[in-house]
Amino acid sequence: MLAPRAAIGLGVVLAWEVAARAGDPLLYVPPSRVLPALARLLALRSFPSLPEHLGLTLREILVAYVLAVGVGLAVGFVLGLWPELGRIYAPLLGALYAVPSVVWYPSLMLLFGLDAASKIAFGFLLGVYPIVVAVLAGVRQVSRELVTMARAFGAGRARVFTKVVLPSMLATLTGGLRAGLALTVVGVIVGEVLGSKAGLGYLINYAYGLLRTADYVALVLLTLGIVLAIDGAAVLAERRARRWT
Amino acid sequence: MPPGARTGADVAEAHIVVEGVTKRFETSSGPVLAVKDVSLAVARREFCTIIGPSGCGKSTLLAMIGGLVPPDAGTILIDGRPQPGPDPRRVALVFQDPGLLPWRTALDNIAFGLELRGVPRPDRRRIAGDLLGPLGLREFAERYPRELSGGMRQRVAIGRALALDSEIVLMDEPFGALDEQTRLLMGEWLLSVWTRARKTVVFVTHSLQEALFLSTRVVALTARPGRVKSVLDLPLPYPRDLESAELASFRAKLWGEIREESLKAMEP
Repeated sequence: MLAPRAAIGLGVVLAWEVAARAGDPLLYVPPSRVLPALARLLALRSFPSLPEHLGLTLREILVAYVLAVGVGLAVGFVLGLWPELGRIYAPLLGALYAVPSVVWYPSLMLLFGLDAASKIAFGFLLGVYPIVVAVLAGVRQVSRELVTMARAFGAGRARVFTKVVLPSMLATLTGGLRAGLALTVVGVIVGEVLGSKAGLGYLINYAYGLLRTADYVALVLLTLGIVLAIDGAAVLAERRARRWT
Repeated sequence: MPPGARTGADVAEAHIVVEGVTKRFETSSGPVLAVKDVSLAVARREFCTIIGPSGCGKSTLLAMIGGLVPPDAGTILIDGRPQPGPDPRRVALVFQDPGLLPWRTALDNIAFGLELRGVPRPDRRRIAGDLLGPLGLREFAERYPRELSGGMRQRVAIGRALALDSEIVLMDEPFGALDEQTRLLMGEWLLSVWTRARKTVVFVTHSLQEALFLSTRVVALTARPGRVKSVLDLPLPYPRDLESAELASFRAKLWGEIREESLKAMEP
């Protein structure tokens, strides 16, 4: 499985190298120039304040995700476990989600300013929806027979929830939490690219604006690495959660 | 029989008393009267079967005895006391759908009720483990429900009810989803368990065969709304021979009661 993946990666890099060498060196950066740029980046010679920017972005992601999980679970369970409410309000969520989320961003900047708050708000906005949807779908999966059975064997509301509802929906729920995390990361970084004074997205925009193309591509690769690391952690957490049942 | 009249065992010594119980359900096409003015009494250690055509409210009646559904009118007494909700210390339930938790092994499913009761893990695993032998599941303790046959799953569900060690076990068509052969074998097995443990059993079925083979008494319900049509005592020893002349005459009698109701149930 690794060999064909490595092969396609190598193929892309080679094609990139060949194609980029043919173009304008200011706009097209071959991998042979990106790697030194990445090394300079990581050695903190291109952007000496990189750890600060990175730390800010990670903090924004963390805060946005914690909010998305908290609000997503709360809204999802309220709408899922009280079907009367769900029938009224769940369609509204679907309608809101159909709007391309990036149109909200300017209003978020007006509301929350150019600093971290607007990025957190945008990351939250993107991350919360898949979590709500996963909870709603998960609650629907729970078998009524199992709930009745648990009641007959003496479970009250709380233990019906912990012993039947939660384990029944675990796979769907962890899937939604993972998708929410990925979208939170997207929201925060896109928010930084669109308008900010600090953070990874700001650096990307900055390097791009100054036509420091090699640095720009190196930053994109760094972002890719961070996203992969975060998703890897999420996969591990998901596996642990599966074992818990 | 006048409506509301008590049927079956003498109420003074009855373990379960159902008196004048009525239940209606709201459906999209208006209210449906599922059970109408049902009264019956079940004696201690009796194997009482409730039989009737599909949709006659027998499962509803059982759910009301189990405290899962409140009656709209009438009272249900267990040991002379009303039961406002499920009480697994006194009443255990077995459903048609085994209702096993798919993420738990057979052993942990059997121990589920004990876990809810707060029995410590080693104790509940020991109690559940002791049941595996009589359940015929000794080799299957650590299997998950999806790895078990339909009959085995239903035995796990019965084991989960027996683990509670309640005096009453309510069974709602527990073998309804099984094939004919497994069904007969499970009936024999259930009898062997019941003759040893001697619990009060209320058993819902729509199978004449099962009713005659298992019960000390059969209560036949009418088509919807379910009312008590007749009560038939079966003072016969176990194991029973379904081919015997005695059982054949009971069978004819019971079929006579049920046939008409089943026909009514088939009408649109």
